[in-house]
Amino acid sequence: MTTLTAACAVFAIVILLIILSYIAVRGITSINLEFLVDTPKPVGEGGGIGNAIVGSVMMTLLATLIGLPIGIGAGVYMAEFGNNWFGSTVRFISDTLIGIPSIIIGIFIYTLVVLPMGRQSGLAGGLALAIIMIPIVARTTEEMIRLVPNSMREAALALGAPQWRVIWNIVLPAASAGIATGVMLAIARISGETAPLLFTALNSRFYNYFFDQPMSSLTVQIYNYATGPFDIEHNMAWAATLILVGLILTINIAVRYLTRKRF
Amino acid sequence: MSTKYSSGKKIIFVFLIFTVVCGLACSQQPIGQSNNLTGSSGSGTVSLLGKGASFPDPIYKKWVSEYGKVNPNIRIDYQSVGSGAGQKALLDKTADFGASDEAMSDEDLKKGDGEILHIPTVLGAVVITYNLADVKEPLKLSAETISDIYLGNIKKWNDERIKKDNPNLTLPDTDILPVYRADSSGTSAVFTDFLSKTVPAWKEKVGANKQPSWITGVGTGAPRNDGVMGQVKQTPNSIGYVELTFAKANNLPTAQIKNKAGNFVEASLEGVSAAAASSVGQMPEDLRVQITNAEGENAYPIASYTYILVYKNQPDAGKGKTLADFLWWAIHDGEKFTKDLHYAPLPTEIVKKAEAKINSMTAGGKPLRQ
Repeated sequence: MTTLTAACAVFAIVILLIILSYIAVRGITSINLEFLVDTPKPVGEGGGIGNAIVGSVMMTLLATLIGLPIGIGAGVYMAEFGNNWFGSTVRFISDTLIGIPSIIIGIFIYTLVVLPMGRQSGLAGGLALAIIMIPIVARTTEEMIRLVPNSMREAALALGAPQWRVIWNIVLPAASAGIATGVMLAIARISGETAPLLFTALNSRFYNYFFDQPMSSLTVQIYNYATGPFDIEHNMAWAATLILVGLILTINIAVRYLTRKRF
Repeated sequence: MSTKYSSGKKIIFVFLIFTVVCGLACSQQPIGQSNNLTGSSGSGTVSLLGKGASFPDPIYKKWVSEYGKVNPNIRIDYQSVGSGAGQKALLDKTADFGASDEAMSDEDLKKGDGEILHIPTVLGAVVITYNLADVKEPLKLSAETISDIYLGNIKKWNDERIKKDNPNLTLPDTDILPVYRADSSGTSAVFTDFLSKTVPAWKEKVGANKQPSWITGVGTGAPRNDGVMGQVKQTPNSIGYVELTFAKANNLPTAQIKNKAGNFVEASLEGVSAAAASSVGQMPEDLRVQITNAEGENAYPIASYTYILVYKNQPDAGKGKTLADFLWWAIHDGEKFTKDLHYAPLPTEIVKKAEAKINSMTAGGKPLRQ
């Protein structure tokens, strides 16, 4: 039995390593400074993913700014006050929302934001990512807050602290490491999304610092490069993939490193 | 408790640093990049966005880049989202111009907010590619054969009907695996239009469509040109259809197709130009035309125009003027970039017709190009 499960474990790791090393081998040759700062150019003239990196970071930040407070707030509600029909409804809907394919969220935002605005925009992209993020953050927050021992809440209440103070000064700090892990994983998840951005942020061949314009992102740029007819574009897609995987891996490793004491 | 708290703080700290670094990175302006944005008002920079067909994407990317070099205060972006999505973007007004390999239907044109013009830009072709390891010379196929393969009537490569056109080739006794486009595509529209024009059985059973209903149990679908190309490359004894650009850029084997004159013609820019030249006379007033199965000794039969779609009456005079000027530049100066990217330039007569269309563009009742 031990051998069998060990073999499965090795298999899982080997697959990850094969994927990572294959991406590294295919991608590394096309990476240079120009590639990292340049904008996409017509085939045969080089070009890069500078604007895509900036766009991805900007939209992820926007999504985090929107999704983080709402997600944590909802999570606190579900854990602290959610033992009623409303709480379980919110919980059920969050779980459903986590399971919804992200492209559907893209279409939702397309109808709600893009059509009235008359154009795709970084704002729409950030909103779509935020919607994906909210239920993930809410559910992890709830799980983490439920782990905080009741005795701590009771102690604080016994000292005369009002409920908001108990949550703000006792419960949230106690659960903060876990919540931060959830947030980081949610960020890693949304920075790898392509489908919701195709309809909402579209893509752009320019550096763009304003959320009211179409915005490039690493994932959509990879999609475009990978589906092009030319080999040189495919190489750039591999290189961009390597950068994206590197970014997500860094986030994941940072989370593991910073929360390692808990396990 | 205390360790939890501190590691949580650490994470928040790291997150803050991440935010600040990203913020700094965002605010850093790369040299030579204009920061001016949208619209004709104020700044003097005009931005245009086009969306549509993936087939002309390489040449349109080249055009907007070259045009930007000549006119640094003009930012035109083109994003390939597919012909169908390009038409929809124009109707939804989420783009300043659309692009499509297939002319818009009368029904869709009625949905537009005003008259929509079709400006032909370049020509392309659909090629039949295949994966037969032992066949070194180009395969010769007629419309009937292709139709029978995709209808499931021809199942083996050494079928008499294929052999008849390829007496010199030794074809294997293996099953044919047809690959078709699973998504809605201008490439499928051109391919099925050719078969519908030439084979009555095809017209009856499948018809001409961006996304036809393929015969159940015959072949497999693959998304996009690269999907079909990948499938054919990986699967021995398969056959598929892709755009000429894909075939040329990747050195795929391509079949010679029997044209209306009865000649087997290789897929080439010359063959496409010949098809365009012979059908100039049939060009209707609104320039919406299919040139598959064209007349002419050397005409390649699965060729097509690709269009930029614009509203005749532009909502914004500044943007409209820029768009009209860009289109004018594209069908004149822009045509010199066609060859390197495997497109055929417009015939001179069609350039004249397109010029008239561009000159008819207006904003608020005033012509844009006078």
